Amino acid sequence: MNRRVVPAEHTPHGYILMPHRIWAYLILLIGCAVGALAQNAGEPTNVTTPFSAHVTHLMGFEGAPNNAGGTLSIEGDALQFQKSGKPAVEVSIASVQHVFLGEQSKQVGGLPMTLSKTATPFGGGRVVSLFAHKKYDTLTLEYVDANGGVHGAIFQLNKGQEVPLRNELVAKGVSVSPSEDAATKQSTAEVPNENK
Amino acid sequence: MKTSKRGSWILPAMAFVTIILAPSRLPAQTTTAKSSSGNGASGAVQWSVQVDKVNSGDVDIEPAFQIAIYENLVDELGKTKRFQQVFRDSDRTTNAVPNLLILKTTVQKYTAGSETRRAVTTVSGATKLTVRSQLCTREGQVILERTVDGNVRFLGSNLRATHNLARNVAKTIKQSALPDPSLSGAAQGAQ
Repeated sequence: MNRRVVPAEHTPHGYILMPHRIWAYLILLIGCAVGALAQNAGEPTNVTTPFSAHVTHLMGFEGAPNNAGGTLSIEGDALQFQKSGKPAVEVSIASVQHVFLGEQSKQVGGLPMTLSKTATPFGGGRVVSLFAHKKYDTLTLEYVDANGGVHGAIFQLNKGQEVPLRNELVAKGVSVSPSEDAATKQSTAEVPNENK
Repeated sequence: MKTSKRGSWILPAMAFVTIILAPSRLPAQTTTAKSSSGNGASGAVQWSVQVDKVNSGDVDIEPAFQIAIYENLVDELGKTKRFQQVFRDSDRTTNAVPNLLILKTTVQKYTAGSETRRAVTTVSGATKLTVRSQLCTREGQVILERTVDGNVRFLGSNLRATHNLARNVAKTIKQSALPDPSLSGAAQGAQ
């Protein structure tokens, strides 16, 4: 009848001999430390790593094929586009006069998807079209060549990729016209009237 | 009985074939220039052309569309072989070019479409562009002025309208009679 209530984990030698709890604390501590170290190590690389993103070149970048996927990056003082397996083409950032941002919604799947939607009976393709679209950001650059001739290039970027690129271009001295800020906020971007 | 049975499946089959074939013809359904002039004959001495940046006028149009029209115009005019050289806006080398025309493009109307609406409804969501194109001499004398449309009604992205527009502008210029560069004083007659 005279029994003491003893916790199940309790041993007569105390907590020192309960390795499982110590191990749990240790693992938790190591995990936190590794996370903190990784976070600290990641911050400076974000600052120093130049912008690079997979984009689709729609048109205008001299030397690059239209509607081609590739990597758009900033290498030193040049804006570079490289299609995989092909030599990179680049323009000097100093030659970029304007940067415009926009947004567009496109149907995904290309021609095969379009054909299959057309062939779907009872208007099923239309229902598919309701959901088979994706929003993209567009980056429009206006730059000049060695002779002063004006070029325009349009890139299609995944959502959210254009802001760091634009910021980096602005940091490199690309002039920003007032309408571009408005263009970032609304999908139907406006452009200042340039009466020649 | 046999003929009626045969007829019963021929009609749906024809309808199916029509549905399948119709979209492939749709991209070609872009409107051409509203006004036209006689078919031109190129002279021995060719003009060169400088494409100016697209003026948006009073129309709110996305910068990507302006740039796309400009780039497509440079491409399409080069394909026509109508001009000796096609120069870009502000190109300094044009100073040394003797027979130079300047193509000025002003947006008159722009309807922003939606590719999704086109795919879902077929009848709505068209992207429509109307521009006024002017070919001028260095002195500012207009030798050709046309209003040209470029639309995307069914298949293709919205920017496809700029390609169709540029193709129509190039086609219009190709079909128009330009004055002989050596007799550019008589250029007024081309209007």
